[in-house]
Amino acid sequence: MALRFDDDFLRKLEYLHVVSRRALAGQNRADRITPMRGRGLEFADHRPYAAGDDFRHIDWKAYKRLNRLLLRLFDEERDLPMYLLLDVSRSMAEPAKFDMARRVAAAICYIGLAHLDRLTLLPFTQGLGQEMVGRGKARIFRVFERLERLEADGTTDLRASFQAFATRPRHPGLVVVISDFLDPGGFEAGLKMLRTLGHDVFVVHVTSPRDRDAGGFGDARFVDAETGEMRDVDVTPRLAAMYAQAWDAHATELDRFCVRYDIGCVRADADRPFDEIILKAFRLGRFLA
Amino acid sequence: MAAWQAGLLLAAAGALAAGLFRLKVRPPRVILPSLLLWRRVLDDVREVTFWERVRRAASLGATVMIALALAFAITRPSCATRGVAVPRGRTLIVIDASSSMLARTKSGETRWARAIAEARRIAAAAADAVSLATTADGLVEGPTTDVGVIDAALDRIAPAGEASWWPRSGDADSIHFITDGAIASDLGPRTSDSPVTIHSVYEPAGNVAITAFDVRPSLASDHAGDAYLELANYAAAAQTVHLTVARGRTDVLDRQLDMRAGEALRQILPLSRGGEPALRARIEAPTDALAIDNEAVAWIEHARPLLVTIVGQHTSWLAGLLARDPDVRPTFVDPSSDVRPDGEDVIIFDRWTPEEPPQRPSLSFAPPLETTSEELRPAWNAAGSHPVLSGVDPFTLSIDKARAYPLPKLSVIAQSGRGTPLVYAGESGNHRMVIVTFGPTESNLASAPAFPVLIGNALDWLGRVSSAGSHRPGPMTFDEAVVDVKDPRGADVPLTRFNHAAVGLLRSPGLYIADGAAARTAIAVNAGDAQVSNLLQTTLTAEDQRRHVAAGVSQRPWWMYSVAVAFALAFAEWWTWQRRITV
Repeated sequence: MALRFDDDFLRKLEYLHVVSRRALAGQNRADRITPMRGRGLEFADHRPYAAGDDFRHIDWKAYKRLNRLLLRLFDEERDLPMYLLLDVSRSMAEPAKFDMARRVAAAICYIGLAHLDRLTLLPFTQGLGQEMVGRGKARIFRVFERLERLEADGTTDLRASFQAFATRPRHPGLVVVISDFLDPGGFEAGLKMLRTLGHDVFVVHVTSPRDRDAGGFGDARFVDAETGEMRDVDVTPRLAAMYAQAWDAHATELDRFCVRYDIGCVRADADRPFDEIILKAFRLGRFLA
Repeated sequence: MAAWQAGLLLAAAGALAAGLFRLKVRPPRVILPSLLLWRRVLDDVREVTFWERVRRAASLGATVMIALALAFAITRPSCATRGVAVPRGRTLIVIDASSSMLARTKSGETRWARAIAEARRIAAAAADAVSLATTADGLVEGPTTDVGVIDAALDRIAPAGEASWWPRSGDADSIHFITDGAIASDLGPRTSDSPVTIHSVYEPAGNVAITAFDVRPSLASDHAGDAYLELANYAAAAQTVHLTVARGRTDVLDRQLDMRAGEALRQILPLSRGGEPALRARIEAPTDALAIDNEAVAWIEHARPLLVTIVGQHTSWLAGLLARDPDVRPTFVDPSSDVRPDGEDVIIFDRWTPEEPPQRPSLSFAPPLETTSEELRPAWNAAGSHPVLSGVDPFTLSIDKARAYPLPKLSVIAQSGRGTPLVYAGESGNHRMVIVTFGPTESNLASAPAFPVLIGNALDWLGRVSSAGSHRPGPMTFDEAVVDVKDPRGADVPLTRFNHAAVGLLRSPGLYIADGAAARTAIAVNAGDAQVSNLLQTTLTAEDQRRHVAAGVSQRPWWMYSVAVAFALAFAEWWTWQRRITV
């Protein structure tokens, strides 16, 4: 799948930027205001002069009015560390679903890189794949290439993957998890771990009609794409309704969990137009502004 | 099929259906992203309804039932042989094929249907070979041990009206004659001494019939004829009969008649000249068990004057004769004029011939055609047997010159002593043609006594359909010259030719047209007859009626219900399977 977006769409993306619920600061200077005082351009406050302070920051006009030496303070503008955790397990192998996940990832990467955020792309299954770090808009094509080369394989283990993510010291940042969250071990432990690490967590729940519906009625041998486990099921209308209820419960469970732990959550249905998801759903989910 | 064979087939069908049901078609593989949610659904302890517990068994039962119903329908194991005792040995079943067998009984079935059902029972009960015959068709099928073949033959046969003969019984050990006794005494001697068991399908029934219908010549010159009609009420009570007589599509009589029980009414109906030659009488009555005798037909020979066009320059010798004939309406046309009448029945060419062959039946006198030879003063010594020459006295004719023409399609029906053709007749291009090889100026034809006879015969043969009178349904013997016989629907009646005669079976009432070199003849076949239509009487004795075929045996075959059940079950199974109600 080509992940190239048309110019018009890219222009629209450039007007957007990723919203972090918390003020997080990276290592490099950028255009994202942080709680720190530093060498930014935006005036923030005054404070009394102390020995050792830089004379250049003394507000001489205030000294003339008040006859006190006051130092001008400025906001520190840094980049935002963004960690994009993309589920590439076999449960995501359905073409429409995998494409949607990669396109969402590509769009977020583009927005982050366009705003000089430090982006780390981390594909995961049972653990983390090879990570890709980038900053600056020029990196976007390499990100696209990387995303294009990704193949869905392996089984999902959110807890093990996020544990692997936690083993390396990382600056607290915005962690975007793109997955279908169909993990037999559950998604709660993994997401809790990310929150505990101090990251601002945002989940993109990628779904497809095949996930939501039981499909046709009748005898069928269901095969788990990840484990190969088979189950002969006679899908009756009643069973199909129960499956739909189970799916709703799963989605509601994820939503409730995210609300409880202050995790942003957006659902990306593979059968919905991609533009609509990025430009509308993500804004409504307060992930993009 | 023997009982054990049928049982084996049923068991095999049931077992096969159950086996196939258990085998089932392998379910399609559906790859899902995860079985996580399905596992939750399926592992949930949920209440299993009674139907969910039994639906597999119900589906299996329905499948086996479908197989058994179809197997029953195919094998049709007969349980209806009860009460029919058939001795061992070869069996001949003879069914009375007279028209009275079409009478409806109180149960709604016909005597014929009862007879067929009884024949099936006898065939099913027979232990040895069975033959099937009817009194009209003779041996129809057999001898055979395959009951299916007899069943098929029973489906094929139909009443054919008048009974004719006992079929050849061959070496049958027993003969079963199924009859209502209407004509049993007319069958003639049997060809075998084998014992005959009579199965009576007789049941008295009220009936109204047209027992006679014909057209007779009228004494009045302005009438085409008189129709003679006879109706009879063979019911136990008086009733009102609605009578209509139609000529072509025009009703000439429409009357309500009050008829007492057993009363016969006769009516003579004058028929005017002009109009259609086909006459049809029809009756309707509330108590009427036999429909075949409710309609009768007749043919009016001289229904309207024959339209004759005479083409020639000097036709006065014909004008005098034709003008006096009330059955002929002549029109004289000069060949040099452009006026050509249309719609004539016959064209007479007087010493003239058209460039194109005529598209109508034609009579030509001394046509100016190429000749092969000529004979002066030919001697006409023999009249010949052709209808055109019937009654023509050749000795009153004096001919000066006759010509021979190269006419390969026509037959010479009169010739001179030296072999020179004097009269040709035959068909050319689907139209009849008569050619007289001498003209009035070369003979004394115009003044000879043979002249009006010859002209009358020729016009009748060329343009009229004669009536062969009224006949009953059944076999009829025709002259060997008859080429084909058309039934009322226009289909050919098969003819069997032997001993200078042709025999055709005229099964249903109506007008038949026999066509041949001799003439075209209309045969009115009417079923009405005092013997056939009187359904209150039978020739069977009380002893004969002892073996009475009970009512209701010819109800719709049970295997049809079996097929219906199979289809209904299959539909229900399919419908419920589509909705996942069954598996």
